[in-house]
Amino acid sequence: MLRLDAHLHVFAKVSAEFPRHSDQTMPADSEAPVEVLLQEMEEHGVGQAVLVQIGGAELDQHAYLRHCLKAHPERFRGIGLIPTDCSDPAAHMDRLAADGDLIGFRLFDLGGPFDPLAPLDIRTTATYPIWQRAAEKDYVLWLYPRAGDSHIIAFLIDAFPQVRVVFNHLMVFPGQDSITFDELGRPQIDTPMPPMTRYSSQRLHQYENVRIHLSGQYAFSKEQYPYRDTAAWHTTLLQSFGADRLMWASDFPWILKEPGYGRLVGILDELLPDLDERDRVSIMGGAAARFLRFPLLSEKSS
Amino acid sequence: MIRPTAKQRRHFEEEGYLIVENAFVGDELKRLQTAFDRCAAACKPAWLEGVVRGTSPAAFFDIPDPFGRDDIFIDLVDHESYYGLLVDFTDDDLIILAPQVRTVPPSPISYVGWHPDVPHTNPLHIKVQIYVDDVAPDQGPFAFVPGSHKAEAGPYPRVTRMESMPGHKVFPGKAGTAILFNSYGWHTSMINSADKPRKSIILIYEKWTEERVNANQYAAIADRLQTPARRRLFSLEH
Repeated sequence: MLRLDAHLHVFAKVSAEFPRHSDQTMPADSEAPVEVLLQEMEEHGVGQAVLVQIGGAELDQHAYLRHCLKAHPERFRGIGLIPTDCSDPAAHMDRLAADGDLIGFRLFDLGGPFDPLAPLDIRTTATYPIWQRAAEKDYVLWLYPRAGDSHIIAFLIDAFPQVRVVFNHLMVFPGQDSITFDELGRPQIDTPMPPMTRYSSQRLHQYENVRIHLSGQYAFSKEQYPYRDTAAWHTTLLQSFGADRLMWASDFPWILKEPGYGRLVGILDELLPDLDERDRVSIMGGAAARFLRFPLLSEKSS
Repeated sequence: MIRPTAKQRRHFEEEGYLIVENAFVGDELKRLQTAFDRCAAACKPAWLEGVVRGTSPAAFFDIPDPFGRDDIFIDLVDHESYYGLLVDFTDDDLIILAPQVRTVPPSPISYVGWHPDVPHTNPLHIKVQIYVDDVAPDQGPFAFVPGSHKAEAGPYPRVTRMESMPGHKVFPGKAGTAILFNSYGWHTSMINSADKPRKSIILIYEKWTEERVNANQYAAIADRLQTPARRRLFSLEH
C-alpha cells in the first residue's frame, strides 16, 4: 500500500546555509532533519510526504525545504509560506514554485477577523491576490485559518472553485489566544471538539476542490494517544467528505517523541476502526497522491 | 384556545408541518422586531468576540437567554396563533425545551445539512420557526421533506447540494409567519445567498416526559410564569 504523509515539517539548525526564524519553541540549535524523517518513513512503510515550510516565510528561510525537495524529487513535494507584509505575493509565490517541486502555499491569516453580518466585498480581503495567483498558476492553498476568518472561507472557495484547497489538522480553525505549547514544545489548541467552526466548514464538502487532513489530533485532544475524544469528529468528516477527500498526515516532528511516528501511522485503526481497506488506502495516501499529483515512486526509491 | 381544524390536524399528521400565516401582525410584529433588533445589538459584541475565540459559531448568531432579556420572547411560547395546535398535537402535555433567537448571515453554504433532530424513540418533538422579517426564497428559508417524519419514511440520501434532496419543499415567507414542524422529519436551513441576514426565532417543544423535565431551567424567570398552564409549559410544575 502506498502511504503518503500529507503534512509534516523538517528544519535544520540555524546556519548561513539554512537561515530560519528561531524562538523558544524552535531554538536556533534545534533541528528536525530530513534524514530522521526518512528513517521513520522507511521503518513504517511511508513512501512520500508533503514538507511544509516552518521557520519563516522569507525566500531565504525556505533554503532547507528547497534543499530537501531537490535532494528527493520523487519522495517530496513542498508547501511554502508568504510573508504577511509581502508587497508582491504573486512574485514571491512564483519564485518559490519555479522548480515545480513546491506546489502550494500555507495560509493562516485570511485578512480578518470579519463581522459575518457586515457587507462583504471578497475582492478587498487581504489574501484575495494570493487566491487569484493560485488560480492562475494552479498552486495548492494549504489552509490553517483562524476562527475569526471562518465566515469568509466559503466566499473565497466559492470565488475560486479551480483552486485546490487542503484544510490542515482536522479542519479546526484555532481561536484567538487558544494556542499554547506543552513541555515537549508541541502546539496545544484549546478548542471544543467538534469545533464550533464546523458550522462554517462542514458544508464545504459541496466544493469538489476541498480536501481535509486527518492530523494534529495531539494538539486538540484532552486525552493521551489515541486521542479518542477526536474520534467522533473523524467520523463526521468521513461521512461529510468521503475517504477520497481525506488525507492522513503525521505532523512530524512534533509527534516524534510522543506518541511516536509509528503510532501515528496506525491512528486510523484506533479512530476509524470500521474503515474498509479501499478507504484506508485512500486516506493513507491514495487521495493525497492524486490530488497533489505526486509522481509514481520508482523501484529504487520505493 | 384555538384547536386545530380537522384539515390542519390531517395536514400535520400526513405532511409533518403546518404553516400559520400572519401569526404576528401589526404592532405586535413591530414590537417583536424591535425587541429582536435591540437584543441582537446588545449581544453582538460578545458574539463577535466568541467567533474570534472559536467559542461561538460565525455561521449564525443566537441571542443568549432571550427569555431573560424581554418578556415578548416568553409570550411567544404560548402565543394564541399556534399554542392550541401544539397543545393538541401533544395531547395536552406540552413543554418548552429552548428558544433560539437566530440571525443567519449570507454565505455560499448553509450552516447545516438535511437532518432530523431526534429519532423516533424520542417523545414527539415539535419546533416552531417564526420569521421576524420577510424571508425571500434566496435568503436561507426553512425547508422540509413532507412526510419524512413518519417512521416508515426514508431512507434519505446524503446530498451534496441542498436542493438535491428528493421531495423537499422550501418555505419562504412574510414576516410574522410561523411554521410548525415535527422534528422527526428531515429539514434544513437553505443557503442564504441574498445580501441580508435571515432573522427568525425557533421555539423547541416536546411532549412532556419525566426525563425531560428540568425544574431549574427556567427558575430565573419564575416570577413571570404565573399561571398554572405556563408553569407546566416551562417545567416548573406538572
